[in-house]
Amino acid sequence: MPRAMWSGAISFGLVNIPIKLFTAVSRKNVSFNQIDTRSGSRIQYRKVSAADGEEVPNEAIAKGYQLSSGEYVLVGDDELATLDPEATRTIDIEQFVDLDEIDPLFYDAAYYVAPDKGATKPYALLTRAMEEQGKVAIARLVMRTKQYLAALRPKDGMLVMSTMVYADEVNDPAQLDGVEEMHDVDVSERELRMAEQLIESLTEPFEPERYEDTYRNQVLELINRKAAGEEEVVAAPAPAAEEKVVDLMAALEASVRDAKEARKRHPTAKAAAGGGGADEDDADDAKPARRSTKASKATKASKASKATKSTKAAPRRKSA
Amino acid sequence: MAERTAGRSATVEVEGRRLTLSNLDKVLYPEAGTTKAEVIEYYARIASAMVPHLADRGVTLRRFPNGVDAGSFFEKRCPSHRPGWLGTVLGPGDSNGSIHYCCLDSAPALVWAANMAALEIHGPMARGADIDSPTMCVFDLDPGAPAAIPECADVALDVRHVLEGLDLEGFPKTSGSKGLQVYVPLNRPHTHRQASGFAQAVAQLLERARPDAVVSNMKKSLRPGKVFVDWSQNSRHKTTVAVYSLRARPRPTVSTPVSWEEVEAAADGAPLSFEAADVIARVEDHGDLFAATLTLEQSLPADGKI
Repeated sequence: MPRAMWSGAISFGLVNIPIKLFTAVSRKNVSFNQIDTRSGSRIQYRKVSAADGEEVPNEAIAKGYQLSSGEYVLVGDDELATLDPEATRTIDIEQFVDLDEIDPLFYDAAYYVAPDKGATKPYALLTRAMEEQGKVAIARLVMRTKQYLAALRPKDGMLVMSTMVYADEVNDPAQLDGVEEMHDVDVSERELRMAEQLIESLTEPFEPERYEDTYRNQVLELINRKAAGEEEVVAAPAPAAEEKVVDLMAALEASVRDAKEARKRHPTAKAAAGGGGADEDDADDAKPARRSTKASKATKASKASKATKSTKAAPRRKSA
Repeated sequence: MAERTAGRSATVEVEGRRLTLSNLDKVLYPEAGTTKAEVIEYYARIASAMVPHLADRGVTLRRFPNGVDAGSFFEKRCPSHRPGWLGTVLGPGDSNGSIHYCCLDSAPALVWAANMAALEIHGPMARGADIDSPTMCVFDLDPGAPAAIPECADVALDVRHVLEGLDLEGFPKTSGSKGLQVYVPLNRPHTHRQASGFAQAVAQLLERARPDAVVSNMKKSLRPGKVFVDWSQNSRHKTTVAVYSLRARPRPTVSTPVSWEEVEAAADGAPLSFEAADVIARVEDHGDLFAATLTLEQSLPADGKI
C-alpha cells in the first residue's frame, strides 16, 4: 500500500469529505550518480564562496533577491515563514466546469484522491453526482507551503486531482516566430479534405500501452550489459582479422580443466554441499537415482563410475 | 596482439556462428566452484537434446552476471545487442502489447545465452507461432517445507494415476530446485484456459482425496508440510523452467527428465537431483527422456470432465 502524500478534506458547501492524496504517476527516468573515474568514488557538492572559494557553513547562507541595480536584498527564512499561506487542510471547491473548458496546457501533476475513514458515502455521492453531470471541480488547496489551483474529476468511480498552473505562468504564444503570419494563410477546400482524410485514416483508439520509452529501455539494456561484464558486445560483426577464432570446446578446455583442478585442491566446497543424510545415500548403489546432488563427484574417475551406475538405473518410460 | 588468456575471453566458432566469450574463469557457483566456462560447456553439450524443446518458443532468461550468490534479473525482452542471426518470436508483454523474446533454437544461441550468465532458461507452454495454443499442460509440484522431494514424488505418482485413468501419459522432470513437474503433451489444438482448467480440476481432486498432503490454493500459508499443485503455470503469460535448464542453486543442478521408476524410488526416499555432469551422462546413456513430449498427441477431456 503506497503512503499518502497529503491528507485533509474536500470542502464542498457545508459538507466536509476527509480524503488522502496519492501520487498517480511515478516517473521512471534512469538516474545516474556522478563518479570520479580515477578513483571510482562518488562526487560531492560543497557550497563555496564565489569570492575566495572557501566552504561556507549552512547557517551563514541566506536567500538574496537580485535587484536591477545589481544589489541584493537579503530575506530570512523566518520572514518568509510569516507569508506562508495558512496551512489549511482543505481542498476548497470553488466552482464546477465542463471538462473540455480546461485547456490540457494547464494540467500539472496528477494525484489519486482516496476517501479517508468514514468518508466513503459522501465521497461516492460527490463522485457519482459529478459523473452524472459530467462536471469537473475547480478547487484551491495548500500543499507544503505552496498554494495550488487544482481540477478534480471523476474517473472510473473515483476522483483524480490534477494541480494546475496559474494563467500568468503560461507563456504568450503570440511572441513566437511564424505564429502571426499563420492566421492569414489560405488553404483550398481540396487540400483541407485531403488532410482530413489522412487524419481519418490514422484515427484509432488511444492505447497508451502501445507507447514506451525506448530510450530508457536502451539505457537500461546498456547498464545490464555492462553489469554482466560484456562491454564487448557478444557476436558483434567479426572484429579484427587478427582475432584468432577457435573451436568452442578447444577454447573452453583450458578453463574447464583449471576449474576442476581448483576443486581438487580445495575439496572443502564439496563437503560443504553435503549435509544430513548424504553419507547413507552413498552406501546404497542398487536403486536408481542414486546419482544425487549430494553423491555426485566432480572428478573424472567418479564420473566413470557414475556412468556405470546410470546403466543400472536405466529408466524405462512405460510405468509398471 | 597480446595473448588473451588472463581474463580468458575467446572468439569461437560454434556451428559456423562466431561468438566472443568473456570472463570464462568467472566462478558462477561459488560453493561448487563452477565457472562460466563449465556453464557454457554444459549448454553446448546438452544443446542437441535441449534445442528441440526450445525451438520456436520465446524464452525468458534469468541472468546472474556475478554468480548465483549475487543479484539476478529476468530478461523477457530479447536484448537489442543480440546477434543478427538469433531468432525472436512475439510473446505477451508486461502490459497489453507484445514484445520480442529470444528464441534459443541452436547450439550457438544457447552458448550466447550462457555467455551472458543466463543460467536459467524459462519457457512458456505455447510456441511462438501460435502463442494462444499450449502444446502441453504442466503440473508444477512445489513442496512447502518440511515437505520435500519424497512428498512431491508421492503426489506426482497420484497425478500419474489420475492421468492414466484418462488415458493420458505424463512425463516427470525435476524442477532442478525443490520440486517436480509433470508435463502432459498435447500437440493438438487446446487453449490455455482448457489446460489450466484441467490442471486445476486435477489439483482439486487430489486435494479432496488427500487434504493432509495436497493443496491447490496458491496461498503460501496453506503450504507448510504439503505439496502445492500449481495449475496456474498453464496461463498464457506464465513460464516454467525449461527442461535441461540449469538452476541457480548452490550447486549446478538441472531440471532433469526422469523415469517414473525413479519417481517411485524417490517417493520411498531416494534422492532425485542431478547436476550438469550427471545430466550429460544420462542423455548419453538413455537419450532424451522428454523427446516424446514433442510429438505425442493427446487431448484433454472436455471442460471439467475428469
